[in-house]
Amino acid sequence: MIDIRGLTKQYGRRSALQNVDFVVRPGITGLLGPNGSGKSTLIKAILGLVRANSGSGTVLGMQWPKDVRILRDRIGYLPEDDCYILGLQGIESVRLMAQLSGLPGSEALRRAHEVMDFCDIEQERYRNVETYSTGMRQKLKFAQALVHDPDLVILDEPTTGLDPNQREEFLGRIKTLATEFGKTVLLSTHILHDVHQICDDVTVLVNGTVRLHESLQTLEKPTQNGMHVVVVSDVEKLQVELQQQRFLVEQTDVNSLFVHGLLSSDASIVWRSATQCGVIIQKVDQARNSLDKIFMQIAGAD
Amino acid sequence: MPVLDVGYRTWSGERTFSLFRWWVVAWSGIRLLLAGTALRRVMIVATIPALLSGVAIGVFEQATVDDSLRQSVTKEMFGRRMDRAPRDSIWQVLRPAVENPKENRHLVWTFILHWYFRYPQAICTVVMLGLVAPRLISYDLRSRGYLLYLSRPLTPWSYLIGKASVLYFLLAMITTLPALLIYMAGILMSTSSGAILETWDIPLRILLSTCVLVLPTTAVALALSSMTEESRFAGFGWFAIWIVGWVTYIVMNATLMRRFDRFQRGMVQEEEYFYYLSPYHLLGQLQREIFGLMPTDRGIDFLAWILCAGITLLGYGIAYRRISRTLKV
Repeated sequence: MIDIRGLTKQYGRRSALQNVDFVVRPGITGLLGPNGSGKSTLIKAILGLVRANSGSGTVLGMQWPKDVRILRDRIGYLPEDDCYILGLQGIESVRLMAQLSGLPGSEALRRAHEVMDFCDIEQERYRNVETYSTGMRQKLKFAQALVHDPDLVILDEPTTGLDPNQREEFLGRIKTLATEFGKTVLLSTHILHDVHQICDDVTVLVNGTVRLHESLQTLEKPTQNGMHVVVVSDVEKLQVELQQQRFLVEQTDVNSLFVHGLLSSDASIVWRSATQCGVIIQKVDQARNSLDKIFMQIAGAD
Repeated sequence: MPVLDVGYRTWSGERTFSLFRWWVVAWSGIRLLLAGTALRRVMIVATIPALLSGVAIGVFEQATVDDSLRQSVTKEMFGRRMDRAPRDSIWQVLRPAVENPKENRHLVWTFILHWYFRYPQAICTVVMLGLVAPRLISYDLRSRGYLLYLSRPLTPWSYLIGKASVLYFLLAMITTLPALLIYMAGILMSTSSGAILETWDIPLRILLSTCVLVLPTTAVALALSSMTEESRFAGFGWFAIWIVGWVTYIVMNATLMRRFDRFQRGMVQEEEYFYYLSPYHLLGQLQREIFGLMPTDRGIDFLAWILCAGITLLGYGIAYRRISRTLKV
């Protein structure tokens, strides 16, 4: 969907992006990076909002950056910034975006209502956008990004300002778009939980260079088999019990253990051992690499 | 949730041509502005001078067939003024029309339309742009609305053209359209069947005069609007340019007049000096040329035209640069 090579962008003497090779497959790709790492510049360069100093490739099968203006008809963009058009009602605002993307007048209005329904904007659509709360504005921007039915949806910090329920619903909608309607989604965020929940691939950008590009499944695949066990109390008792059964057990936290070599199919051994030594188990989880740790390692390497 | 939630649905229809999407920016801006009652009232007030001009043409047409009317109105009103006016004055250009109105229909009509453009409509344009233009880009800068526009298939130029078109439309409604209607009314009220042949070039002069009035003023107004997120600063800058220019023109002319004795002063007091310093007087001078009301011994003022074109290009250039710069992360 996106295959851009050698992308460089400089602001004066400062390099925002240095020879970036950026690939996005169909599905949902999380774009991670610390502040100032070049995520927004990369997104704006893809959209042609900032002119790259070098780089070429394809986006949705079209030449980039040559066809970038035509491409915008097929890309939906939710900007990070709090942006709206003063004086317009929500519905007028979405309709305007539809018309700017080439939908004829009456069709644009019909489509705007349809997308606002999908984004859960009810009667508020008839209010002026400057009176919207932060959460409502995020929904409005999402509706604006989707109104022309784009093939590629670029979301820059989409869940900022949403309460937990709204966040879950929002992520659900993004997932629906990707799984049921075949949209390719590029999700730029700081919230690793969001990435963990819905992304298929992860790209980490640090200091204007791509430091990691991998599928989430591969990333989270543990380097060794094992299971994490969290107990309510008496973690030592369970550790001794499991060691007696010849497992290599490591205490990772006050109430947590890591049992090396234990497969999820053998989780019953842990439960049995806990019953025998009278320890209450809170959670048993298959070992996997933590996205937080991976991100911290990469981002902290500089 | 809506009563009938159909979830997400795909859309596959025919899209409009991308080169004309600036029109969507323009149309949405026009609709937003016309929703305000204050602006609609200003627009209605701005059409009043057109009625006066229409009446003037009507009276002139009657005077061409009614000698007593010609004596009492035309000669009494204009004749006295002409006797006092200096050599280069616009009133002297009108002299043949007072003596022989029938043969000078073109001259009188252009004189009336020039008056219409030069005085009431130029002032209306300044006021109207001062009310509307400062908001056009500065509001988008404040609310970052430009990102929404430019993430669509629009270039900064097409965005700018869309915004400028809002002003073109408003100004056309208070200048071009009434002026053309005055002309049409003149044709209908004319007592001569050859009026169209005599005045066929006037609509073209109206259009050219509109361009001279509208292009540089919108360029400056949009440049000011693009320079700040606070529309009131842009509005202040806009009115300051006109007022400072006007005052400078008056002061410089008054200073010059002191050098002449009373007789000389009478000869030159209406001549246009220092009009390059005042946007209002500069535009007036160009419009006078467009309507062909310059004295025969005065040629085209190339410097004024170059200055006008330069201001226009500079204004649009600044606005473009400011919009492009906002996209930097």
